[in-house]
Amino acid sequence: MSSWLDYTINGLIVGNVYALVAVGLALIFGVSRLINFAQGSIYLVGAYIGWVAVVQLHTPLPLTIIVVAAAAALVGLIIERFGLRPLQNSVRIAPLLATIGISFVLDQLVMLTFSPNPRALPSQLPDVRFQVGGGTIGPLDLLIAGVGITSALLLFVFLRYSKLGWAVRAASQDRDAAMQMGVDVNRVNQAVFGIAAALGGVSGMLVGMYYNQIDTAMSLQATLKGVVAEVVGGAGNVPGAVVGSLLLGLVESYGVAVFGTSYRNLFAFLLLVVVLVLRPNGLFASARQAPPEPLTGTFIAPSRPVRIPRWALAVAAAIFAILPLFPVSFYVLQTLINAWLLGMLALSLTLVAGTIGQVSLGHAALLAIGAYTSALLSLTFAVPVGLAIIGGGLMSAALGTTLISPSFRLRGHYVSIATLAIGEIVSLVILNWESVTRGPIGISGIPPLSLFGYDLISPTSIYWFSLSVMVVLALLQGRLLTSHLGRSFRAIRDDDIAARAYGLSLNRYKSLAFIFGGFAAGISGGIAAHLYSYINHETFNTQQSILALTVVILGGLGNVVGAILGSVALVGLPEMFRIAAEYRILIYGIVLLLLVRFRPQGLLGTI
Amino acid sequence: MSNIDRRTLVKGSLAAMMAGAAFSRGAFAQSSEPILLGVSGPLTGPNAQYGTQWKQGFDLALDEIMAAGGINGRKLVYQFEDSQSDPRQSVAIAQKFVSDPRIVMELGDFSSPASMAASPIYQRGGLVQFGFTNSHPDFTKGGDFMWSTSVSQADEQPLLAAYAVRRLGLKKLAVLHLNTDWGRTSRDYFVKAAKEYGAEVAVTEGYIAEERDFRSTLVRVRDANPDGLILISYYSDGALIARQARQVGLKQVICAASSVYSPKFIELGGEAVEDVHLGTRYFPQDPRPEVKKFIAGFKAKYGGQEPDAFNAYSYDAMNMAAAVVKIGGTDRRAIRDAFAKVKDVSSVIFGQATFDVESRRVKGAMNAELVVRKGQFELWDGKPT
Repeated sequence: MSSWLDYTINGLIVGNVYALVAVGLALIFGVSRLINFAQGSIYLVGAYIGWVAVVQLHTPLPLTIIVVAAAAALVGLIIERFGLRPLQNSVRIAPLLATIGISFVLDQLVMLTFSPNPRALPSQLPDVRFQVGGGTIGPLDLLIAGVGITSALLLFVFLRYSKLGWAVRAASQDRDAAMQMGVDVNRVNQAVFGIAAALGGVSGMLVGMYYNQIDTAMSLQATLKGVVAEVVGGAGNVPGAVVGSLLLGLVESYGVAVFGTSYRNLFAFLLLVVVLVLRPNGLFASARQAPPEPLTGTFIAPSRPVRIPRWALAVAAAIFAILPLFPVSFYVLQTLINAWLLGMLALSLTLVAGTIGQVSLGHAALLAIGAYTSALLSLTFAVPVGLAIIGGGLMSAALGTTLISPSFRLRGHYVSIATLAIGEIVSLVILNWESVTRGPIGISGIPPLSLFGYDLISPTSIYWFSLSVMVVLALLQGRLLTSHLGRSFRAIRDDDIAARAYGLSLNRYKSLAFIFGGFAAGISGGIAAHLYSYINHETFNTQQSILALTVVILGGLGNVVGAILGSVALVGLPEMFRIAAEYRILIYGIVLLLLVRFRPQGLLGTI
Repeated sequence: MSNIDRRTLVKGSLAAMMAGAAFSRGAFAQSSEPILLGVSGPLTGPNAQYGTQWKQGFDLALDEIMAAGGINGRKLVYQFEDSQSDPRQSVAIAQKFVSDPRIVMELGDFSSPASMAASPIYQRGGLVQFGFTNSHPDFTKGGDFMWSTSVSQADEQPLLAAYAVRRLGLKKLAVLHLNTDWGRTSRDYFVKAAKEYGAEVAVTEGYIAEERDFRSTLVRVRDANPDGLILISYYSDGALIARQARQVGLKQVICAASSVYSPKFIELGGEAVEDVHLGTRYFPQDPRPEVKKFIAGFKAKYGGQEPDAFNAYSYDAMNMAAAVVKIGGTDRRAIRDAFAKVKDVSSVIFGQATFDVESRRVKGAMNAELVVRKGQFELWDGKPT
């Protein structure tokens, strides 16, 4: 029985750690309705500034905290001023993409400055342990809890009773009205980003000391767990974020207790999905609270798409089709094959995110389902590869739609969070369901691509195959967009209440979109499996989902040609920057930021 | 159909110019062009630290190879392409290397998904893929152009099991392992060997690479009541587990796989890794000449820094590549055939490395039983801890 006490204490200790990130995320979401993907990077920056202070400058702990808080706040202010404020009046989704770009840039800067090797960040507190149950807690546990709870309380008081706090809340309820009442919204935003960043920086440092270890990979994990905790508690709700974090810690700990360590994150993300489905605004949202997203579809603002004449598209397609006849290197062809495979994924996502407005952050899961289905069909049941890939597409359509359907009632950012969780769940199920997926060992020896008994193994034939599959999918999707069905999709995106009033069944149309989208993504995954010959649970990871979303936003939401153009750009750019070696992801991040800044509606605009 | 794009040409000629400047002797040799190896590995992304460690090992080995006159008077250089351990990028890199006639063989990639996704391209393109950290049992089954000096876990884990069970006398074990293909394969070999030696494996727990908190896992371990903890971990997660095990009051003997062998393990683990046992392939005071040379050279080149296991793997890999190129020349097929011909290449990990032509791997890794004492790795003196 005492073990359960230990699991509970451990859960609370970890929840404590998550709370530090979640509070900062909640604060920013509360005001700007923005999931700040750069929060994890600020946390990283804080950890490394803390390292410089402690190890190089030998500052005492109180001074270290002040230094880290000040430096991180400064980073936050810079992000707000130069990264996000220019995007104020652009599409709602642009700042989201900007925070992703900023996190690339910050992570890379830290990596380049400090090298990717992990470092020890020694704790400056005395090393005494207090016996609690079967385990012990130390002074750092108490300090982390203290910082988390104190900051949540302070923020709560600040938001409720101070004048600037009122302004913050007014701005979060209705920006325009607040502005008309004389609230300096920019100052409010600045204050919020400064506070959130200071908190993020300090938490990175404390967590670094806690584990005596900091490294550049800690940023994404911190963001993921922070987002889960925040949304469980009710996005934008600061005390809720603390409770959500503790709950997350407990669920993980009990999950480990019952099923074992490798199920840990599965429970974290299941918790998130369950909470979202049962209480879409989080556990602690009051029923009277205004909906978190505007009722009409300003999440994805309409823009005037760039019309490309048909003949130009036909010429472009023809040029790409005959490209292998010219002396281009296989490397260029392989890069384009990657672009076509990413293009199929982007077609899928642009339909789901752009056309019907369900911005998915877990799209790599559809690739994984398609890839595993196709690989297992061809290996275990000796299904011809061509049919197996189609099987992968069908399975991805069916399973993907089923998995996502509980979240159809969600809106805006919540859809993204739910899909993010579903993506993680799929990956963890693949890792743990060993009898089918072979777990971490993965599937090797997947037969190469073949069609009607002919192996497609030369880069040229794979190129033609993937290009033609993508073109067919693109043509189908283009046809779909101009049909009645496509107009219904867009109606749901632009104003779901009006669409419902017209008698459109939202769930049915959303299912249809996911069926089409799932099929395209599953095909892409299936082809990739046969191309790679080896896949495991890491082959299709979160980074791929984020990349796909970046492609779609870059190309213009819902825009078929844009999705393909975006794929070519985002596969091509990192390859072109190869000569910059370690700097290439930094350059990529900066280019991405510039694109978002100057072309927030995407290269070709939303359709 | 293959041609070289302009960028690589510029890069190549730059390298050639530098080579010419540094080694004017080479300019008079039959061909002054340096011999180029392709490396595909992570320089950015979550595994970036391993790519940087590779570079350190490569550069040290190359310095020594150059000092000894290079490859028949020609310079050996490598072109490191960052794959982020992402299969999508590693296949593009594979195609790039295959189409670049100056590349004579390839080294890497780091992770199994990235390496094995690229294997079909190397195999069809007829370019050797020399994966020196690829322990996945199926890696060399990708074809006869796949060769590996990665220590087979079928070799390593029984050694670790013997250390834990026979030498340290542990009878009831808890195994914590990274839940990756490497960790999983290792665990299976370890458990099998440990049982053969008469120990009971009370619990095995797999954790994902991003995991940082092991308290709840350690409660499970405690409840299984083992007398020893086995860590099949890398140094960063190994240090985290050791610290948290000591913090929650577990006092059992900890015995770890050689992958934790890094000065970082001690730096990150602090006092908690004191008395941790580990089976490694070499040790700091090792009297073997190749180890002495490696450690002394490494410390001299990198400001007193101690080399770790990944530095040793990449150092060995570059030396092996040099030995192979010396026999096989610059023809890609001849290089593949040379892998079967090289004999007794001096190696930190294997002592003398010779490939088993059947499995295309090297068998018979050296073994040293170490323990951490006063913040240093030392040869275990046989005293219980």
